[in-house]
Amino acid sequence: MKGSQLGLVGRRVCSSLWARLWTHVLTAGTMAIALFVFGALMLAQENLQNLLTGWGDQIQINAYLDKGLGAEEVSLLRDKIRSFPEVERVRHISREQAWKDFRVALGAHSNVLEGLPEDVLPASFEIFVKPAYRDGPIVEALANRLRKEEKGLTTVEYPQEWVDRLSLVVLALQWAKWVLGGILFIAIFFIVRSTVGLAILAQKDEIEVMQLVGATEELIQAPFVVEGLIQGFIGAGLSVLGLWFLVLFLRDQIPTSIGFFGSLGQLQFIDWRSIALILAIGSLLGASGSVFSLRRFMKRWKG
Amino acid sequence: MIQLFHVSKIYSPNTAALKDINLQIAKGELVFLAGPSGAGKTTLLKLLFREEEPSEGQIIIHGKDVTKLNSRGVARLRQQIGLVFQEFKFLPHMTALDNVALAALVTGVPRRESYSKAYHLLHELGLQEKYDAKPPALSGGEQQRVAIARALMNDPMVVLADEPTGNLDANLADETMRLFRKIRKRGTTIIIASHDLDLSQRYGTRVISLQEGYLVDDLSPLEEDRAG
Repeated sequence: MKGSQLGLVGRRVCSSLWARLWTHVLTAGTMAIALFVFGALMLAQENLQNLLTGWGDQIQINAYLDKGLGAEEVSLLRDKIRSFPEVERVRHISREQAWKDFRVALGAHSNVLEGLPEDVLPASFEIFVKPAYRDGPIVEALANRLRKEEKGLTTVEYPQEWVDRLSLVVLALQWAKWVLGGILFIAIFFIVRSTVGLAILAQKDEIEVMQLVGATEELIQAPFVVEGLIQGFIGAGLSVLGLWFLVLFLRDQIPTSIGFFGSLGQLQFIDWRSIALILAIGSLLGASGSVFSLRRFMKRWKG
Repeated sequence: MIQLFHVSKIYSPNTAALKDINLQIAKGELVFLAGPSGAGKTTLLKLLFREEEPSEGQIIIHGKDVTKLNSRGVARLRQQIGLVFQEFKFLPHMTALDNVALAALVTGVPRRESYSKAYHLLHELGLQEKYDAKPPALSGGEQQRVAIARALMNDPMVVLADEPTGNLDANLADETMRLFRKIRKRGTTIIIASHDLDLSQRYGTRVISLQEGYLVDDLSPLEEDRAG
């Protein structure tokens, strides 16, 4: 396509976007909502995945101590556990420390703890496994041994259990993202097809004149495809912006760590690959909706 | 040279718009397609610029079989044919200058060159004061001249005009015909579909008469004079 033809396409796109501004705004808005839902599932999936990866890397066992244990017994028990070949180090967290940590973790929401006795949380050991033993079955065997053999421990937890359970949630989210996304994408496709169809109908006379003066099909169709692409891109861009505000809002609302989330950091925004994917899906849906709409109308007009 | 060999256009088993037309039009000829409404004049023009395809036969324009063109070929053919319609077919939101320049812009002629040529053509046709006006603000005669300017934008080898004087009074019709004769002098073939036989006789051109889809007469100016 030559420069003057590109200019012609550009001017037709601008005039069409301006002439049906509100239709385009509504379509881009609908696309933004649909892609936002898809992006939100992606956001949840990515954050849970990060959480799981973080846990997997740590492979740490939490063993909660019987309230009746004295300081000497605790010390003996810690030495014994430390002597296990799989164990790298053992950190004792007293009740006071656990209470303090929990308050810090709750941050601005720590006032919910007011009125509770400060010794409500049990003391525990954080048991760190040597890198060579950081493997699911080995950690599980170690946890089971501690449960069976060490009487001073009330509960033994290790993240792999949660990793296994949450892996299923991540898998479900991944499926939901594509199934729900697929349904939403089909809806977007038909919405764009209808919007561009309206634009084509409104420009029927212009198309006829262009055909009569010798415009090629590509030149006639290009503005509509660009129009769909722009709609899709703007819709996708708005959804990414919406997700960014959602993350900011949730970061404000959710404490940096809650219970088992430990200190694995705050909610992360989707990475650049996911942003690129959302923008690409939006643009592609917009352009393909236009192409299908054009095929339908051009075929009808040609008889 | 335009050649039609056994060309028929049948819309349905009972509706034949053209039947077995054989015709040759030389380069630079000014030809009238005459006949009453429904005779097949407009259909014949539509076949020439490939808005319609013939049901049978072959149409050769300057050595190319236009019945075998793909969509790109059709676009290229139309870039070499100037079209003038009774209802003009302008884009009403664009100025006269924009409408004329559009014909060159779609072929990829640079914008500045397209607008400069459009302006000169409008000037040549006496519309230098009206180039910025939108078509609805122009008179019938002015609109006709804008349509002719648009048809001439790509220096076409053929100009096809469908009832170009149909909406014009006698003076404007004469003015339009004078313009076509002027254009013919450039070597452009001009085919005018008109039911106004007086006009064709006044200008002493070749007249091809159609009736119910059949070519019933093909009179050269000399024969016409003799017949008249």
